[in-house]
Amino acid sequence: MENIVFYLMEAVILISALLVVLVANPIYSALFLVLTMIGVAGIFVSLDAYFLAAIQLVVYAGAVTVLFVMVVMMFNLQKDAKAFSRGMLGNVLKTLSVVLIWSIVHTAITGVFSDFGRGDLPKIEEGSIAMKSLATHLFTKYVFGFEAISILLLVVIVGSVALAKSKGGTHD
Amino acid sequence: MGSSSIEIAINAIKIILIFLIMVKIVPLLVWVERRGSAFIQHRFGPNRVGPLGLLQLLADAVKFLNKEEFVPKEANKKLFYAAPVLALLPAALAFLAIPLGTPISWSFADSAIGDVMIPMQGAVIPMGIIYILGVSSLAAYSLLIAGWSSANKYSIMGALRASAQMISYELALGIAIVGVILVYGTFDLTEIIIAQEGPLRFSFRGTEYVLNFLPNWGIFYQPVGFLLFLVAAFAESNRTPFDLPEAEAELVAGYHTEYSGFKMNLFYIGEYGHMMVASALLSIFYFGGFNIPGLSSTELAGLLAEFIKEPNHISLAMSLIYFVVSFTKILFFLWLFIWVRWTLPRFRYDQLMDLGWKTLLPWTLANVLVTSLIIFISAG
Repeated sequence: MENIVFYLMEAVILISALLVVLVANPIYSALFLVLTMIGVAGIFVSLDAYFLAAIQLVVYAGAVTVLFVMVVMMFNLQKDAKAFSRGMLGNVLKTLSVVLIWSIVHTAITGVFSDFGRGDLPKIEEGSIAMKSLATHLFTKYVFGFEAISILLLVVIVGSVALAKSKGGTHD
Repeated sequence: MGSSSIEIAINAIKIILIFLIMVKIVPLLVWVERRGSAFIQHRFGPNRVGPLGLLQLLADAVKFLNKEEFVPKEANKKLFYAAPVLALLPAALAFLAIPLGTPISWSFADSAIGDVMIPMQGAVIPMGIIYILGVSSLAAYSLLIAGWSSANKYSIMGALRASAQMISYELALGIAIVGVILVYGTFDLTEIIIAQEGPLRFSFRGTEYVLNFLPNWGIFYQPVGFLLFLVAAFAESNRTPFDLPEAEAELVAGYHTEYSGFKMNLFYIGEYGHMMVASALLSIFYFGGFNIPGLSSTELAGLLAEFIKEPNHISLAMSLIYFVVSFTKILFFLWLFIWVRWTLPRFRYDQLMDLGWKTLLPWTLANVLVTSLIIFISAG
């Protein structure tokens, strides 16, 4: 049963992730990105990591990508797509990105995933215990990264407020 | 889903039944909404078709099915058809995780089937709270897709307003729930309901206090959280006073301006579905879910044992009683949604955003802070 879920979600992730880059219409690629996120949440469910699955839905599928979709819908991006896909510069950029992506994929396969399948990976605990261990790790071992990210987000918030304010708005 | 094949079969049928309950309650709610609004505004409302105008529902259904199927010329057809389905999906998925009563345990003593356990909820999901939050956060897409694919200025404005509103209020909603999670220490909806059984009791620095005249409901632990959750839930389900996305005077009908017939009906079912999920969560978090005030489950089982001999039947009767109780609470909050809609005027858009970000969010954060402080102090 778990295997079926895993392969189904894997198929969803791979197909929709490919379509994100292959589809010409930016709205479609944003929506396929949502589908990819939902697939990743499904993988988390098949690993019994329910909390991560739900957070994946809330944060990535629910909040972050909604903003992408919203912004893409506000602009008519057909012209920009054409400008990017023509000319000498575009071709150079494309070739460079292919090389870059291939090297990332290669490193991922040979480097990171070579450790998989050894069986000494820690098992995820169930229910509230999993949350507890997650929180403990987040606020003790990885607290520096956690705080750094929150400062980064604060900078982003302040910057966007400053940008919005400088142009004037509905609020005085 | 279950251990034996018969259990799986029963649970599969039950999932369909719960979905049908959710969908079939919508026409009744539409009738209550129309009659209720008429009652509030001193009008008659639909009273010609059938007794009390109840057959109006049937007439509406026939009308929905017979409308011309219209797609605007410039519309993006695929997404235009997908949006109504996506509107129904999150509400239906979220409603599956709501526990509506105690599980029915039925033992087939004389056959090979053995004991069967049927929980009174679509699917028993660990961490039901975040599952519901996660699924219902996908609802913004249907509105965005509907608005964009209609190729209509009113629609896209409505869709942008709706999704901006949903995102802003989801934050307040989620943080208001954190207070409840802090009090009960669990993500499981059934555990939260069970914790609210009996009279109000709490311990402060080792001493136990019991107030026999009050039920042990969440509203007494989280009064501010309840108000914040209520306001955020109204905004989440796009109901008046926060129904800016479909403000008739400005935007015709907002994101579903171009929709008609059954597709429009699906949007309605989605909206009422969101209201039902919000009402169910309100009753579970703050009003004891399926608990009966002043009557614990063991007392109820004892009462039932005086009339019914078969233990199977006792379990079934208890489950049905709790089902009725939880639905009474849900229906009360649904009536509250309707009541407020026809009582309060609509907010202005900037007022709405101010309320969300400058009032609700700080108050929910303060609620979390105060709740955790009190829990820390009272633990001693």
